Amino acid sequence: MAVLNYSSPSPPSLISSFKNSTSISHLFTVPATRRRSFPSFRIKSSLAVESPAASGTSNGGESPKILLQVKDLTAVIAQTEQPILKGVNLCIYEGEVHAVMGKNGSGKSTFAKVLVGHKDYEVTGGSIVFKGENLLDMEPEDRSIAGLFMSFQSPVEIPGVSNIDFLLMAYNARRRKLGLPEYSPIEFYAYIMPKLEVVNIKPDFLNRNVNEGFSGGEKKRNEILQLAVLGAELSILDEIDSGLDVDALRDVSKAVNGLLTPRKSVLMITHYLRLLEYIQPNYIHIMEDGKIIKTGDISIAKLLEKEGYKAVSAT
Amino acid sequence: MAVSTFTPIFHITPNQSNSLLFSSKFKLPRNKIKPNFTKARVFAALSDPFVLQIAETLEDSHSSSPPHLQKLRDFSSESLLSAHWPSRKDEPFRFTDTSFIKKSQIVPISTPPLPQSLNLFDDSEETQFPNLVIVDGYIVDSVSNVSGLPDGVFAGSLSNLDSEVIKKRVLDFVSSSDGDLFWSLNGVGAPDLVVVYVPEGCVVETPLHLRYFSDKGEEKESNKLPVSNPRLLVLVEKGGEIGIIEEYVGGEGEKCYWTNSVMEVVVGDGAKLTHSYIQNQSLQAAHIKWTSVRQESTSTYKLIEVSTGGKLSRHNFHMQQVGPDTVTELSTFHLSITDQTQDLHSKLILDHPRGITRQLHKCIIAHSSGQAVFDGNVQVNREAQQTDAGQLTRTLLLEPRATVNLKPNLQIIADDVKCSHGAAICDLEENQLFYFQARGIDLQTARKALIFSFGAEVLDHFPNKSIQKKVESHVKQLLVPSLSSQ
Repeated sequence: MAVLNYSSPSPPSLISSFKNSTSISHLFTVPATRRRSFPSFRIKSSLAVESPAASGTSNGGESPKILLQVKDLTAVIAQTEQPILKGVNLCIYEGEVHAVMGKNGSGKSTFAKVLVGHKDYEVTGGSIVFKGENLLDMEPEDRSIAGLFMSFQSPVEIPGVSNIDFLLMAYNARRRKLGLPEYSPIEFYAYIMPKLEVVNIKPDFLNRNVNEGFSGGEKKRNEILQLAVLGAELSILDEIDSGLDVDALRDVSKAVNGLLTPRKSVLMITHYLRLLEYIQPNYIHIMEDGKIIKTGDISIAKLLEKEGYKAVSAT
Repeated sequence: MAVSTFTPIFHITPNQSNSLLFSSKFKLPRNKIKPNFTKARVFAALSDPFVLQIAETLEDSHSSSPPHLQKLRDFSSESLLSAHWPSRKDEPFRFTDTSFIKKSQIVPISTPPLPQSLNLFDDSEETQFPNLVIVDGYIVDSVSNVSGLPDGVFAGSLSNLDSEVIKKRVLDFVSSSDGDLFWSLNGVGAPDLVVVYVPEGCVVETPLHLRYFSDKGEEKESNKLPVSNPRLLVLVEKGGEIGIIEEYVGGEGEKCYWTNSVMEVVVGDGAKLTHSYIQNQSLQAAHIKWTSVRQESTSTYKLIEVSTGGKLSRHNFHMQQVGPDTVTELSTFHLSITDQTQDLHSKLILDHPRGITRQLHKCIIAHSSGQAVFDGNVQVNREAQQTDAGQLTRTLLLEPRATVNLKPNLQIIADDVKCSHGAAICDLEENQLFYFQARGIDLQTARKALIFSFGAEVLDHFPNKSIQKKVESHVKQLLVPSLSSQ
């Protein structure tokens, strides 16, 4: 069983030292369509059985910084103590797009929820460092303000709270933290109108209660609207493609691509190749039984689509 | 641990289908108090001395009796002969403890307010609407203003109603036998009958604001409970429309008093009445209120209630359908922020086809000795085919040991009807709280927003935005202290 890690850029490539060289041939081929230019040394992300000692600290100059570093993360369901995550290792640099795929119940959504601090799960080991800070010490709201955003797979309805009030509340919570004056509702309208166009939704959407009576597509669009309004350095998109028709998927993907900058990163969780054709990932990770068992490029997803999980399974 | 008792006759969670079809027959043994002149004599021997004592003091409190109220008083006195003070053994009062009233020395208020206390009501509360000020059950004309009402619309004391025809018509609807003991006590004690009359086809654009004040209150230590008996009758003739705002306010300070109010409503053919009811009494007061509605064919009646005051507050709501195709909407919100009891007993009786009823009842209990009671009865009788009746109640218990007793019950005899009901008792939902947090909003702000939003679903129904804003800010103000302590 292989544990994958990218070391910090400085050490030399270790790819050759990896035994299973046949499967490596297609790994780490960065799709040419990505806007960001990849310095060649960046593609020497290594495969190593033990965790690298690298930290998220800067390596000086222009080289991309580590945004998120997850090491040996283990987590259980808080109520039943059933183990779900059994040693996840993942490293995301600024500007990278990662996708996590895996069977139902492999721990993908749990991983996303643990990153944003959901109380249903308890972290029992390992570490998560985001922008050099220990994420596990932070409350969910502080993680959000620090620049972590998760779009919910099935966002909850909140009757009695209008979308605009909710967004303003969230946006002002950020401004307060940054020491900026809070926006009045009128100032906020001016700020939010262009964002509505980004996700292609009508302004009357703002007066509806949060997610109440929304269709599947509207819920997903609303999640991306929140992302557009609040901004995030790392967006975790949990099955943003589920339940979407072709048009809605294109709108949502377009919006996500529009929000990407060379410094912003995305971690997508998906079952389907289709989304990955719209939002092209640098890396695809396969999760199985609470661990990342394989990392590669788009060809992994293609293999999956064709042959199913048995083709990439560790067992 | 929060305590809850939930005794439905049968129960359907709101998440299930809203359109369940019942063909089975449900009939409960009913315990309806039906005072009757001849029976009263028979049962005279069973009289409750405490009730007789109150009835006597109320009778004695009237120096003179307006002739048109004499019949009501006589019949009410008769029915009190056989009535007893409710105890926890009586089903309608199983969860509602009225001993607070019984233990006090009840003093009828027998005089209209003194002129010097009136300026309090004149300036204290500005209203932009035509309004009647009713202090301790007496209309105070000097501070009322009904000049904005259209011709033919009457709002005032029955004795000031010029037309004998209308007077007779109004009196036909004054009932001595609709309710319980408290209804009858009001019949004996009411000093006046306030009448709102809307003639045929008349659409009143601006709402009429009825402002009820309690002037004579006692300190808690005195053990005295001054009682007032306001009585109102609203008659909207065929095709007429009006909005009524009924607002109950306590005087200065948290005084002890008892308001025992009765409102009778007749909504004629195709007529429409929107009834906003705001109960904001002193937290040491008892507030017993009856609303009895008669709906003729194709009429619409909407109630929006927000009750936040009173130590003991009970609303008995009764709707009787007397024609087909009626629409009835009840949206009620009760809030207990201290050791209050907030009680709603509603009964909707459908005897004609195609009636639609929508009932939403919400409660927040924010105190460990706070209590809410809800008994929601819907009777769909044999002729009431194609009735569409929906009922939903939700309660938020914010403190350990806060109590709610819910008893939603449907009695359905007709076999082609849609009826649903649901009841939920909850704390704030973790998932909702987390959603706020995941967007950077701290837990306390999230809790606040969710608690306010809980009541907002009812408050949104107020037809008038200025009233809605006023009630909203009042509710927020009440909730803030109990939120910051969490």
